[in-house]
Amino acid sequence: MASSSDATASTNERPEGPETSGRRGRVRLKRAAVMAVPATAVAAGLMILTAQGALGVQFAISGMPFVVTADKLEGQGFAQFGALDHMIENSPNEGDTGGQVLVVTSVVKSGKLTNLCQSVDLGGIQLVLTAGDKSTPVSVKNLAIDSDDIKGDASFNNIEIGRDSSTFDKVDQQGPRGVYGQQADSVTITDLYQHNYAATAAVFKLPDLHMRFQSEGCEQ
Amino acid sequence: MSRFREWRGHRPFAGGLLLVLGGAEILVTMKAPLPVILKIGMQGLAGYLLPSLMIVCGALILFNPAQRLFYSILGILLSLGTWLTSNIGGFVVGLLLGAVGSTLTFGWLPDQEPRRKRSAKQPEKHAAGLGG
Repeated sequence: MASSSDATASTNERPEGPETSGRRGRVRLKRAAVMAVPATAVAAGLMILTAQGALGVQFAISGMPFVVTADKLEGQGFAQFGALDHMIENSPNEGDTGGQVLVVTSVVKSGKLTNLCQSVDLGGIQLVLTAGDKSTPVSVKNLAIDSDDIKGDASFNNIEIGRDSSTFDKVDQQGPRGVYGQQADSVTITDLYQHNYAATAAVFKLPDLHMRFQSEGCEQ
Repeated sequence: MSRFREWRGHRPFAGGLLLVLGGAEILVTMKAPLPVILKIGMQGLAGYLLPSLMIVCGALILFNPAQRLFYSILGILLSLGTWLTSNIGGFVVGLLLGAVGSTLTFGWLPDQEPRRKRSAKQPEKHAAGLGG
């Protein structure tokens, strides 16, 4: 009812138009504030929730796995533990997984990768990223990678296997309480292959970065 | 030109325009190669749907200003929703444009006294409206 009367009111303005050209519509600040205040509050809430990680905006995993390969990974401070990654609700990639992927999180406090290659299958096209294939290796700090498949030739120094992942002290990041984990002072993996769902890093330096679309992903 | 000015005077022109621009900006940030979009399918749909509806709401505000309250409320909800669906609201820019546009539309009233009278003739009546 209100809308129809509103409509007639506005059409009635038209005939008056020419005569009262001075009477124009205008934004009334008080009226605008009725919407502006709650909208600002909601926007601020979204940003705070996002910043706290409570709202999975940028880091709901897409559920599109990506592959990382490297000729050699050398890391100081290494830890691994099990974790569960969540996709967005009703993600088209969830298949029969229920939107959750069981992953092993690998944490490297400070490391170098030579000949890094990363590829993600976007449905027929591979987005391929390579770096560190010339003189300077890729360097990372506080790298955390969630993978569901890892291959390579690995050697560890001072490894502790089976330690509760919440008590790790060789890296800056602890895992969940009561979960199996292992940590080591240093790690060297050659011919590394990882099938990943997520990766975060405090510092990720990519010399000779080359990102492109091509039909073939990383070899291995 | 004066007809255009007249036309603008009868609708929340700036608000509708900002909402259209906000939706357009978000759509631009969403662009991806066509084969990729086709393969991803439903996942990208909400990301495109919300900014598209923002443009529609903005256009409707301009061409059907009688229903501006409904469009502006829809517009602000869509704008805020793009934070979640479309590259954090087109990297914030489109979200801000859409939110400001919706708010201006919501606050717009037709048939107001000309601006110059406020200070000269009737300061007591309009002082309240301005103070807010």
